[in-house]
Amino acid sequence: MKKLALSDDILMQIDKPARYIGNEFNSVKKNPADVDIRFAMCFPDVYEVGMSHLGIAILYDMLNKREDTYCERVYSPWPDLHNLMKERNIPLFALESQDAIKDFDFIGMTLQYEMCYTNILQILDLAGVALESKDRNNDDPIVIVGGPCATNPEPIADFIDMAYVGEGETSYPALLDLYKEHKAKGFDRQAFLRDAAKIPGIYVPAFYQVTYKESDGTIESFKPIYDDVPAVIDRQVVKDMDSSSYPTKMLIPFVRAIQDRVVLEIQRGCIRGCRFCQAGMIYRPNREKSVDILKEQAKELLASTGHEEISLSSLSSSDYHALGELMDFLIDDCLSEGVNVSLPSLRIDAFSLDVMSKVQDVRKSSITFAPEAGSQRMRNVINKGLTVEDIIGGATLAFKGGWNKVKFYFMLGLPTETDEDMKAIPQLANEVAAAYYDTVPKEQRQGRCQITISTSFFVPKPFTPFQWAPMYEAGEYLRRAKVVNDEMKAQLNQKSLKYNWHHSDVTVLEGVFARGDRRLCPAILDAYKSGCFFDAWGEYFDFDKWLAAFEKNNISIDYYAYRQRDLDEILPWDFINCHVTKDFLKREWNNAMNAKVTPNCKMNCNGCGAGIIGSGVCHNAR
Amino acid sequence: MSFAAPLGVGLTSIGEYMDIDIKEEVDAAASIKTLNDNMVEGLAITSFKYLPDTAEKCMSAVTAASYVVTYKDSKDDACYIDNICDLKVKFFDEAHSINIVKKTKKGERELDLKPLIYRFNIEIKDGVPVYDLLLSSGSTDNIKPELVIKAFHEFLGLPEFDDLSLDIMRTDMYTGEPDSLISLGDIGNEH
Repeated sequence: MKKLALSDDILMQIDKPARYIGNEFNSVKKNPADVDIRFAMCFPDVYEVGMSHLGIAILYDMLNKREDTYCERVYSPWPDLHNLMKERNIPLFALESQDAIKDFDFIGMTLQYEMCYTNILQILDLAGVALESKDRNNDDPIVIVGGPCATNPEPIADFIDMAYVGEGETSYPALLDLYKEHKAKGFDRQAFLRDAAKIPGIYVPAFYQVTYKESDGTIESFKPIYDDVPAVIDRQVVKDMDSSSYPTKMLIPFVRAIQDRVVLEIQRGCIRGCRFCQAGMIYRPNREKSVDILKEQAKELLASTGHEEISLSSLSSSDYHALGELMDFLIDDCLSEGVNVSLPSLRIDAFSLDVMSKVQDVRKSSITFAPEAGSQRMRNVINKGLTVEDIIGGATLAFKGGWNKVKFYFMLGLPTETDEDMKAIPQLANEVAAAYYDTVPKEQRQGRCQITISTSFFVPKPFTPFQWAPMYEAGEYLRRAKVVNDEMKAQLNQKSLKYNWHHSDVTVLEGVFARGDRRLCPAILDAYKSGCFFDAWGEYFDFDKWLAAFEKNNISIDYYAYRQRDLDEILPWDFINCHVTKDFLKREWNNAMNAKVTPNCKMNCNGCGAGIIGSGVCHNAR
Repeated sequence: MSFAAPLGVGLTSIGEYMDIDIKEEVDAAASIKTLNDNMVEGLAITSFKYLPDTAEKCMSAVTAASYVVTYKDSKDDACYIDNICDLKVKFFDEAHSINIVKKTKKGERELDLKPLIYRFNIEIKDGVPVYDLLLSSGSTDNIKPELVIKAFHEFLGLPEFDDLSLDIMRTDMYTGEPDSLISLGDIGNEH
């Protein structure tokens, strides 16, 4: 049997030891001696979460296609193992070779949510790599981050050597080639970073200097310290999704991952332009894969994994041009082979209900709406083009088809939200319940209809039209949830309604990080040192420790979260070019304030700026 | 697909079984090769047989399992008991009952191990006791080897028993009555 980094004695003491032993079906095995570059690809959260992430699956496959590179995986050790590793000085290791990642050339981390920032430090700490970039030397790995949070890497600027801004498929080849060149001629860290900073999409925080205004603490200037380092970083975008690298195999873990099925990415980007949604802005333009390629990939992936379920991945699957053809193919080809088709969130209409009735047990499953706001005014503000008629009409069709469970997703704390808007949430749910009782005759009902309302609290994100919006204090979020809850109890059909809401402390912290700058770094470091990690997990989140770390470092939550930003303020992420222009975002902010709807990309080009990429929906429209 | 019995974390095995339904008949030898070519490290298919249509699922068929158990540490307290083989005869062969308290998810219950242990031998290899056990297994009376060794340790008057001190290998699984057990591997045909 191959070597394991953890002894049997340790593996027997910890929860789910299969998280740490590697050797999964379809994992890549190479002889480390045969490669030039060793890359530790990390998802800084627990194994079952990280193993479900499509982005890493794509990059793991792509990097390992290179003969000169061995890309291995790393996930955050759960606190039980974390403590044992600390106690016994066991260095963090990669799953494939079980070798310590301190000796690797790169440690790459994908940042999918802000609440994983302390886990970046956990990974570095357990690896035995200096937590701050300035303390690393030529022998240390290059620490690089990517993913959506890399569109504002400033709150973690001190911890990383570089951020890869954008889609990984485009610039990794150039980066690895450059690294190899530097390694061959005697590696000098500074020289490599300097050259890497010239590769499109690569941002090296140490090469930029930020000054702040004395008056209000906002940014005065943000400039590279060298002439040959670009002042603006262009977010990287794959132009042609069909020819872009996609895995033909996926790893099969020994313990059940959250996403325990084949995941087929059908398109990137979204045409909708919801004003709160970062993904909808930064992944522009909307780029579809051709349906023939998808059919091929689906077959290949099902054959190479043995998975019994396939799911489609995209931001808005209903907008995919050939969804009907793709669904027919999956239903005909997969269901007969005993493979289940799990449906992505589809817009509820006659088509989607027809498809759903073919692949699900109607009585057990539910239909889902994400209107995000309860009133039409509020939905116009956020540019969510879903009307009451759409919702009632869709729900009525579903009730006729035999469904009686409906799930609703809303956000609270959106810009301009009034108590009336909040109250409209349970009122809408009540109307849907009423539609059930109007539509389905008493003798055909299977008990009451069940309508579940869930609200999350809105967090403004960079590169969205709401990037300037103020947040509220934790108590105010809870007040808003109470308004919804009280109004729900006043509804005629309240017995058919159920309401869930989220915690609010973590919302505020997420808001601070999302729009933070590099002055947050010392506070994040102190929070980690005081024991904060796995902040995305309720049982480990300790808001008091965070407040202490903020106080010690003079961090004002008010400044980062609660204030209304000026439209002309230099924002910490302004140096990144996401192709969507600031002018467009400002225009959209003003449209939001006037509750004015902007048509989607297929209806009308709104000149957001992403057209410059020259592909996808912008290109097709022309 | 159905597995005969899940293998506990930390155990090794050379005798695991699963049954699968397939659509068409395939060549057994070729299938073993195909499966092993795709198998993860540490797992190997050793035999492939066709079961009669009337065969019950292996999970419900299992009635017994055999184990080889020894100590990870050659300095374990049990290694210093010179007459351990004689004491074993007293503990097992000559005993009418071996009463223990078994902890389950539902609470504690008294249990007589004696009729559920079908074989209990000891051999001393390099000064370390090696146990050869055949125990009742399956859905009704599933006896883990740790439980038997723990009872033996208590009989020997040894202090605190630790499951983790044992090195346990499952060697085979059986079906049938205790006096006429058949290895699951001996059921079925090549075609």
